[in-house]
Amino acid sequence: MASVIEVDNLTKTYAGGVTAVKEVSFKVEEGEIFGFLGPNGAGKSTTIMMLTTLVKPTSGRASVAGFDVVREPNQVRLCLGYVSQELAVDDNLTGRDNLFIQAGFYHLPRKEIEARCEELLKLMELHERADDLVETYSGGMRKRLDIAAGLLHRPKVLFLDEPTLGLDIQTRRQIWQYINYLREEVGMTIFLTTHYMDEADALCDRIAIIDRGVIKAIDAPAKLKSRIGGDIVNIRFAGAGREKMAAAVRAINSLPVVDSVKPRNDECIVVVKNGDAAIPEIFRVIQPLEVWISSVTLKRPSLDDVYLHFTGRELRNEFGSKEDAMRSRVIMRRVRG
Amino acid sequence: MSGWTWISDIYYVCWREMKRYWGQKPRIIMSIIQPLVWLVLMGNMMSGLTNNPFAARMLGVDNYIVFMTPGIMIMITLFGGVFGGVSLVWDRRIGYLNKMLSAPIWRGAIPVGKMTATALQSIFQVLIIALTAMVLGVRFASGIWGLLLMLLITTLFCFAMAGISLSIAVTVKSHEALFAIINFLTMPLMFTSNAIFPVAAMPAWLKAIAIWNPLSYAVTPMRALATEGWVWEKIIPGLVVVFLFALLMVFVSNRQFKRYIA
Repeated sequence: MASVIEVDNLTKTYAGGVTAVKEVSFKVEEGEIFGFLGPNGAGKSTTIMMLTTLVKPTSGRASVAGFDVVREPNQVRLCLGYVSQELAVDDNLTGRDNLFIQAGFYHLPRKEIEARCEELLKLMELHERADDLVETYSGGMRKRLDIAAGLLHRPKVLFLDEPTLGLDIQTRRQIWQYINYLREEVGMTIFLTTHYMDEADALCDRIAIIDRGVIKAIDAPAKLKSRIGGDIVNIRFAGAGREKMAAAVRAINSLPVVDSVKPRNDECIVVVKNGDAAIPEIFRVIQPLEVWISSVTLKRPSLDDVYLHFTGRELRNEFGSKEDAMRSRVIMRRVRG
Repeated sequence: MSGWTWISDIYYVCWREMKRYWGQKPRIIMSIIQPLVWLVLMGNMMSGLTNNPFAARMLGVDNYIVFMTPGIMIMITLFGGVFGGVSLVWDRRIGYLNKMLSAPIWRGAIPVGKMTATALQSIFQVLIIALTAMVLGVRFASGIWGLLLMLLITTLFCFAMAGISLSIAVTVKSHEALFAIINFLTMPLMFTSNAIFPVAAMPAWLKAIAIWNPLSYAVTPMRALATEGWVWEKIIPGLVVVFLFALLMVFVSNRQFKRYIA
């Protein structure tokens, strides 16, 4: 199978000196759903914008369908469909008009435009409302219209930037169905970004976990899960001092059943081979240290754990610009319809 | 950009703007009322001026509305044109701009398409002014062909002003900033031109500014067409300047667009 997307040491440093993406390399095979997973500000959107020719890379190389994104941008644009996270549909036009313009932008022959629009309106189940203004659409309908616009010229690769951001559960499932349909019935290659773990788990053949512009891991979701080992025991300490906690962590770490221990604030994440048997063992070594435990939970690994394992922190207080804040507010308002 | 697809790209960008325009009824109603108010109110308010023989000599006509009509036409196209960049700020904010840029269209089609749409919208308003003026008793000295030439001048002028607006719009991120700059530009541009007052009535320093004001270049040939007829030595220079101004703004807006966005 041929690689549809090839990225080699791609780096983007913005004018302000912020490096959003650092020497990222990966390949996406034909017919694959490839997911980019990471917290806000990790470099997901910047990577997509470089691949869709919207932002010029600072260094490195990337190609889509065999065309270089810097040297042959127009060929690249013809091969890709781009659905941004912003719900970029024109509210003041009807759904059909939105598609008509989009088809025009891709230079489809006039005769074909009408048939193609009709076909996609049916596929996305929008044909009944096609002649209504988009401002009367719900958030989910707008997203479907946006995806339909990205599919008009039958692209080789579809880029979906946060396809279900802000949508309700039912609508998310529906969007997933469409994405699965495109893979199975059309054989389209799909590159998506998300920060929802369940989304990556449900859709992606392979995922890359990206944090602060660096890819931490690339693999199939199942393999990533097995990579962080067995079960996870999460222990929360109650009112323990720093030294006592450190002693407890050392004691847990010395157990043969324990693979790794990661302390975080007043809790620690322990990766073990068999959780059921490990918990009594852990209690046995902690007991003499007089460290009180407020709760213990046992989890089989999910993609969330994989994600946290590679990206570390749970809560981010990133600095955002005023424009970012404004933009996300606009997105949320539009999604809610 | 291969072959003639760039024309089709401009067409679709322009088509979108026109379709949006027709969809916004309040906008259309206001664009009809606004010139009416200016012409009827201003024209009547100032008509006493021509009773003064000295003032009438400076205006060059015995009816202020005749003097005023070409000025109002340019003023309306100025007001319409300077807002040509607003849709770009909006497109950028909702992500539509990126959607257009990820399509294989000629980059310049975005500013030029928007400028064309803004100019087309002004034709409609100028025609309303012409009709109202005729109802108020104005007869254009150069006849129907003169009116068509006036229409060409206002359209080119509006196209160019939309280019200025877009060139500024690519550098700002918010509507507020754009509106502030537009307001800062529009009023001085208006009142330092010969659109409402004759240059002859201005103090020397204002006269110097008015002569160089691009607005005056557009007004002079129009006023000649409206009040004097086919006075070529007054028409040609203004026509050439407005045409070159429009052409220049195609290049400037494209350059600004490439530099700040694409």
